[in-house]
This record gives sequence, C-alpha cells and structure tokens, in this order.
Amino acid sequence: MVRTEEMLLNVGPQHPSTHGVFRLVVKIDGEIIQEATPVIGYLHRGTEKLAEDLQYTQIIPYTDRMDYLSAMTNNYVICHAVETLMGLEVPEKAEYLRVMAMELGRIASHLVWFGTYLLDIGATSPFLFAFREREAIINLLNELSGARLTFNYMRVGGVKWDAPEGWIDKVREFIPYMRKELEGYHDLVTGNEIFLNRVKGVGTYTKEDALQYSLSGANLRCTGVNYDLRKEEPYSIYDRFDFDVPTEETGDAFARYQVRMAEMEESLKILEQAVEQFPEEGNILGKVPRVIRPPEGEVYVRIESPRGEIGCYIASDGQKEPYRLKFRRPSFYNLQILPKLLKGENMANLVVILGGIDIVLGEVDG
Amino acid sequence: MKGLAKGLTYTLKNMTREKATYHYPEEPLPLPDRFRGIQKFYPEKCIVCNQCVNICPTDCITLTGKKHPDPERKGRIIETYNINFEICILCDLCTEVCPTEAIVMTNNFELAEYSRDEFFKDLQWLDENDTNIRKEN
Ligand code: SF4
Ligand code: SF4
Repeated sequence: MVRTEEMLLNVGPQHPSTHGVFRLVVKIDGEIIQEATPVIGYLHRGTEKLAEDLQYTQIIPYTDRMDYLSAMTNNYVICHAVETLMGLEVPEKAEYLRVMAMELGRIASHLVWFGTYLLDIGATSPFLFAFREREAIINLLNELSGARLTFNYMRVGGVKWDAPEGWIDKVREFIPYMRKELEGYHDLVTGNEIFLNRVKGVGTYTKEDALQYSLSGANLRCTGVNYDLRKEEPYSIYDRFDFDVPTEETGDAFARYQVRMAEMEESLKILEQAVEQFPEEGNILGKVPRVIRPPEGEVYVRIESPRGEIGCYIASDGQKEPYRLKFRRPSFYNLQILPKLLKGENMANLVVILGGIDIVLGEVDG
Repeated sequence: MKGLAKGLTYTLKNMTREKATYHYPEEPLPLPDRFRGIQKFYPEKCIVCNQCVNICPTDCITLTGKKHPDPERKGRIIETYNINFEICILCDLCTEVCPTEAIVMTNNFELAEYSRDEFFKDLQWLDENDTNIRKEN
C-alpha cells in the first residue's frame, strides 16, 4: 500500500466554512484526518468579566454579541435570570412579545444555518433563498426593536417597545408565507441526490456520546433524545402553546438537517398561536425598581436557544453589578465533540461535519 | 435524478419573482422609524444630568457643563459633548435614560470615515445631524 507522509494543515482562522474566526489544526495522512485540534479564542471579548463592572441593564447589549444570530434568546436569558433572582413579575403582553421575538429569531437563525451549510457543501442557490426569507424576519425584528441583529430589546421586567401598529398582522401574514417557502426548500434540497450522498451517514454519533459530551439542541435531538427545555422546564409562557419536539434516530448530519428544518415548522406553529392569543391591552414593563439591585444570592436559569441549552448564572452580592456572571454557551459545548467526529474521516467531510454542528464563534469564545 | 429535477423547477419558478434587493446607495434604504442610527443632540435641552454618561456601557460619551450665563437662572448648561463612535455600539440606552430627550436617535447609519480620529464626534456635529430623527423616543 502506498503511504504518504503525515502533514499538519491549518484550517482557518480565516476559512469560509468556519463563519467566524476559528482554527482547526488537522493532521492528515493523504486525504484521511488522523487528528483534529480546534483552536479557539480569536473572538474572545471577556463578556463575563466585563459584566462584573456593568449594571444589569448595561449587560443586555453585550449579550447581543455572543450568539449574534439569535440575540433575542440571549437577551431573554439574562433578563430571566435577574427576574428570577429578584422575584419580578413580567406582564403577560411582554411575555408574548418576547416569545414572538424569540421564535422569529429561532427561524432566522436556522435559516442562516440552512443557507450557509449548503453553501459550504457546494450549493449556492439555497443560501440566496434562505437569506431572502431571513431578511423578511430581520425587517420584522427591526421594526420591533430598532436594530437588525443586536436588538437590545428586552429589559429586566419586560421589553423596551410595544409592538408597532400593524406589526402583529405582519407576523400573521408571514407565517403562511414562510410555510410555503419551507416546502420550496424541501423541493430544492431535501430530495437532492447529491446532497443526500454528502450528508447521509456522515458525522454519526450515538445517544450515549451525545449525552456524555453534554450536547444540546438539534445536536442532541438528532440521536433520538427528546429533550427541549421549552417542554422540560417551560419558561416564559411556553406551556400555553401546542407544539412538538422533532427528533430523529440516526444521529448523522442528515438527521440534524431534518431536526432543524422541522423545528422551523414548530416555531411557526408557536407564532401562529401567539399571534392569536396576543393581548392588545396591558403593560410591557412590570413593576421594576429604578435601580436594579438584586438581593444577595445565586441563580441559574437555562432556556432553549436555536443552538441548545443556554444558561445564565449570576452570583449577586446585593450590588448594582453582578459579583460573578457566567453563561453556559451551547456552541462551546457542542463543539467539543468535533475532534472525535473528525478522526478517520475524509478531508472533504470536514466542512459537512463542522457545519452540521452549527456553531457561532461569538458564542464559542464568549 | 428526480430530486435534482424538482430542485431545478423551484429555481426556475423563482426567476420570475419580485426582486429582493435594493439599489443601494442610489436609492435610500427604507428603514423603520425605530431604527437606531447616529444620535442627534439638542444642546439647548440638555440639563447636564450625566445620566447618559452613567448608563453608557462602553463609556463613549464625555461631557462638560458650565454655569448658566444668566445669573438669574439656576442650573447648568452644556459646554462640550462628545461621542466616540469607534466604540459606541448604538445600544439606545443613552436616549432611553435622557430625561429631556436632549439626545435622540436618528435613522442615519452611514458612519464610514477615512481616519479613526473622525469617529470622534463633537457637540456641533451631533447638533447638525438633524435628518431622519426618530419620532418615538
Ligand atoms: S448608544 Fe449606547 S454605546 Fe452609544 S453613546 Fe449611547 S449608551 Fe453609549
Ligand atoms: S441624559 Fe440627557 S440631559 Fe442628561 S446629560 Fe445626557 S443628554 Fe444631557
């Protein structure tokens, strides 16, 4: 058998398939990956340390910049943590606005994943279609919050703005439109033979692996574990909606694709119900003291972001600023399984596997 | 092959659809009223209360005040007011806390400059930035 010499190859830090700055040092023997070592930290801004000098309201814009594809869930997790620590009531209307914003964000985030993932593995047009629909969502969120990505929309005890006039109707119109487009995506991609050949049976792991590596989100549900924090520990008003948690059994890249595609449909279901139940009257901000000063103590809350379980831990010593703040950032945890998955794989499968995990580097590095 | 053909049909159908792109910068980008762009500052409204400086998460506002020139009047008026747009993250918190709406957001977002020093905007520049001012603040 012909043997080639082993070679070290740097993938990244500037590589289109990493969607950020992420370096992967791979040791290859010919086309086969012997070993892969992720190198992270290029985007580290020290959010948690910075937060120790900031008041709670000032931390919210910083969370926008962690998982920048789904800033609404990040906004929510910090507000939810402070509210839990202080025992604050959030008005119903604010909760509905939050849920709608978060679910729209979830769809937008999955659309980015869908588009860029296919772009990575060689299909250009789905990217353009996905970004067209994402633009519709971004416009909706822009009208609501005044920004396209870094929303800074939620506040401790509620939200900053009420829905502008006609916004709810626009969301209502968006739902059937998005459903139709999703069908189109399935026509375009899901049945495509080339795509199926690239993703079926690639990057497979078992339920046990997933649990041992503490994976969450679609990366966990693709192995058949039915675990979604919106169902397990309903936060906000998620117990009022009827929706399913899509799971798949095979644990390969195609299963992850199917889970994410099905999740978009479930989010549309939640949106549909939220739009119907939306209370026209009511406050958008609860009774919040002017200076937010949570009592001494600790709190940990966790919610389901598009990428998995995002958690926020606050240790407060009764000051305006947290004594210590920690985010459980799902991308960081999900990334840990990558070296195991890449070992023994063909070089061409690297992007298929890396893309399938769906990481956001702002979140990995914190 | 069936899957490929189906996909091509979808692409062909999309060719006749309405365009999703804008002719930016020839045509201005339509933005909602709430959009957070570069701030407009009204020196005459400012009461030098320092709340905007205290809330700013990136510490990019610096201001100084002086005594009211009219000895009859109490209070202070603004002397200098600078925002460093190298680090301003347009988070909207300064406009949210300002009690007199002396600082408000506009829809202007074009902030490209040739040198870093030019991102340092002073009172006069912020006062003259008076187009597309946000209605709701
Ligand atoms: S928008 Fe935010 S970062 Fe910019 S000056 Fe105001 S408070 Fe500071
Ligand atoms: S908060 Fe408003 S009134 Fe107070 S110093 Fe700032 S701009 Fe002036």
